[in-house]
Amino acid sequence: MDAFLEGLLTSLQPINIFWIIVGGFLGTIVGMLPGLGPATAVAVLIPVTFGMDATSALILMAAIYYGAMYGGSRSSILLNTPGDGSAIAATFDGYPMAQRGLAGQAMALSAVASFIGGIIATIGFIALAAPLSSFALKFGPAEYFLLMLLTLSAIISLSVGRMVKGLIAMSLGLLLSTIGIDTQTGVYRFTFGIPHLSEGLDFLIVIIGIYAVGEVLFNYLNIDEEKKEKKKVGKIWFTKDQWKRSKWPILRSGPLGFIIGVLPGAGGSIASMLSYTTEKQISRKPDEFGKGAPEGLAAPESANNAASVGALIPLLTMGIPGSGTTAVMLGALIMLGIRPGPLLFENDPGMVWTLINSMFIGNIALIIINILLVGLLVKILDTPAKVLYPIIVMLAFIGTYTLGYSTIDFFFLLIFGYFGLLLKILDFPIAPLILAIIVGGDMEQNFRMSLAASNGGFGIFFGSTIAVVLVVLTVLSLFYPLIIKSFKKLRGAGPAAD
Amino acid sequence: MKKIWLLAASALALAACSEEASGEGETFPTEPIEIVAPASPGGGWDLTARSLQKVLEDNELVEEDITVTNKPGGGGEVGWQYLSEQDAHTLAVNSSLLITNNLLGTSELTYEDFTPLATLATEWQSVAVPADSEIDDVEELMQKIKDDPSAVKIGVGPALGNDDHLSFVQAAREFGVDPKKLNFLVYEGGGDVLTALLGGHVDAVTTSLSEVKDQHLAGDVKIIAISSPERLPDIEDVPTYVEQGIPVEFPHWRGVMGPPDMTEEEIAYWDEKIGALVETEQWAKLLENNDWDSFYKDSAETAEFFAEQTELYEGLVEDSGLGQ
Repeated sequence: MDAFLEGLLTSLQPINIFWIIVGGFLGTIVGMLPGLGPATAVAVLIPVTFGMDATSALILMAAIYYGAMYGGSRSSILLNTPGDGSAIAATFDGYPMAQRGLAGQAMALSAVASFIGGIIATIGFIALAAPLSSFALKFGPAEYFLLMLLTLSAIISLSVGRMVKGLIAMSLGLLLSTIGIDTQTGVYRFTFGIPHLSEGLDFLIVIIGIYAVGEVLFNYLNIDEEKKEKKKVGKIWFTKDQWKRSKWPILRSGPLGFIIGVLPGAGGSIASMLSYTTEKQISRKPDEFGKGAPEGLAAPESANNAASVGALIPLLTMGIPGSGTTAVMLGALIMLGIRPGPLLFENDPGMVWTLINSMFIGNIALIIINILLVGLLVKILDTPAKVLYPIIVMLAFIGTYTLGYSTIDFFFLLIFGYFGLLLKILDFPIAPLILAIIVGGDMEQNFRMSLAASNGGFGIFFGSTIAVVLVVLTVLSLFYPLIIKSFKKLRGAGPAAD
Repeated sequence: MKKIWLLAASALALAACSEEASGEGETFPTEPIEIVAPASPGGGWDLTARSLQKVLEDNELVEEDITVTNKPGGGGEVGWQYLSEQDAHTLAVNSSLLITNNLLGTSELTYEDFTPLATLATEWQSVAVPADSEIDDVEELMQKIKDDPSAVKIGVGPALGNDDHLSFVQAAREFGVDPKKLNFLVYEGGGDVLTALLGGHVDAVTTSLSEVKDQHLAGDVKIIAISSPERLPDIEDVPTYVEQGIPVEFPHWRGVMGPPDMTEEEIAYWDEKIGALVETEQWAKLLENNDWDSFYKDSAETAEFFAEQTELYEGLVEDSGLGQ
């Protein structure tokens, strides 16, 4: 308890409060911009952290990380262009809300959801850091493969009504994820002699291309129609009814996102997607999902912020970076003479407790920042298309460049932009494609590692409790809609009117 | 005190340089210096490049501005291709991949396409097993592998053909195990390898010492061999390969090089500057923070070292079955 209070006092020092606010603000901004994400922001700041006190540096970097989770949904809601994988789920219902004139409410709701998710996860961090990190270790290649399979099957279940298109999109994504070096054998696949492709396609380029550039192109085709309809912005605080619908989804998604975040490599994309599909499947109004259901926005927002806090657990307790951002953080901390790992809590408890307390303060600062920003951000919708879209395209190019520092990526950006346009015109769901690219590579490698470990036996996929649970969940997520349907039929028309 | 001495030394060096070149007009360098990190920000190469920049600037060893450029891709290939087309004001960070990429058939470039300037630092390789493993030393491990190679799962990352992999190949070869039969599971990165070891998903891992050192100190894993010539501070309980009868000394070095065809004067300039850099306290501190050991070799020694290393790696790549 003493250590906790001491940490609270340290994090309340003016200089640390300053860094929390700077980091949170910076994170919100980079999260909003397509392509610029927390990993880039932390990397760019490495030279700055050189001269800083190690604790302040850690506070600053963590604030950027979870700040980006707040910001990420802004562009998803307003422009249908997520800035990162973990903000994709926010487009499903956030953008439809904005189209219905509820942009302000959507942003306020997502800020509150992020806040609650962040606070739940921080409390979880204090109570469960040690047991959870040993839980995460139980995930071997087979369990990771099954978790990713579950995510993909959950995504497919979203495309009810256009299942074939969803499966085609996902298969395309899986094909694209095979580009690059095959780690098990060291063979280069589909790189066509371009060294730049050896590490595969960066999924962020695909996201920026398909969503940002594709969205701009799509709107360009319809630009004349758009002038006539004037979008209304509406109130900037959500209604009681919206809150009532979102309350439980937020409270459920926080812990879910936190636990998935603790698993190294799983991260915000999987967390937000699984929380969205879970909420849709247990909802009494699943038909409203995808058309602007407030809980469909609130749930993934709570989950991805909780996941970003969870991802700090393997970093700090085991020295294992669980995401791109935490990997960069690890590098920066090592330069400062801090080696996150099993000895950090013993050697430097003050630093860990200061960080934890800074996350409470940071989340409070961020909800204030983000709600104040709502009024400003909704003005983006009033911006004339011919001003707004060129800016988005420019940001897309800048974001792309920061990913690989190479102009070759511009070609891929444009290719995926036109590809995205095609998908939109043909009404293909985009999320299965993107998720397949994000998890495809890891999924394949984990599948092959599992088989290598079991000498080819498929029993390994049922070899542990976690594996069996994941298999059951996968089957459930695929057939749940069918089960529910037949259930309702059995019970007659009564519940269906609900 | 040391700083003042260094300043004086570097001032003298500068004066010496300018005298030498005074006949030709301008002295090298005449433009800002660019250090290429052939990887994304945050990784080992990036940190090496930024450490160089920081120490050279803070100690005022180089007057020109120094920038770090990230050119990730192809295990160094993209950044080094870029370097090969620049003039002497651009340098790039390197490691053994400079040699192995070519041997593995993924690159046309060899170290002979560049001007070696210095070898800076090294890490050491280690072999670790889970804390509760019945294996206590590297001989037991190798014997077990010899008896049934498929029964021992060895974690490595992020790619076959790197130092983590080849150091183990060398050890196995020395013990009389056919390296082609080793059962490697290849993970995405050092962190994933460690997770797999902690979770008991592999029987042993071969990785950089820094990845497992703290876990060893905390009693979470057991390091059974290191590739250094002597035991290392902090982990005096861990024996070297050599002590255990396996003649393997395996540095995982990092260095810096310039584009092809640098002049004698330019090479001498960097010998001077980097020679001064490795003597600074700040550099020593950075090495310590990163768990690196000083491994300084000047340009001439580095050229020789590269030739030796190429010969060693050629044999290892062939024995591992990765050769083209």
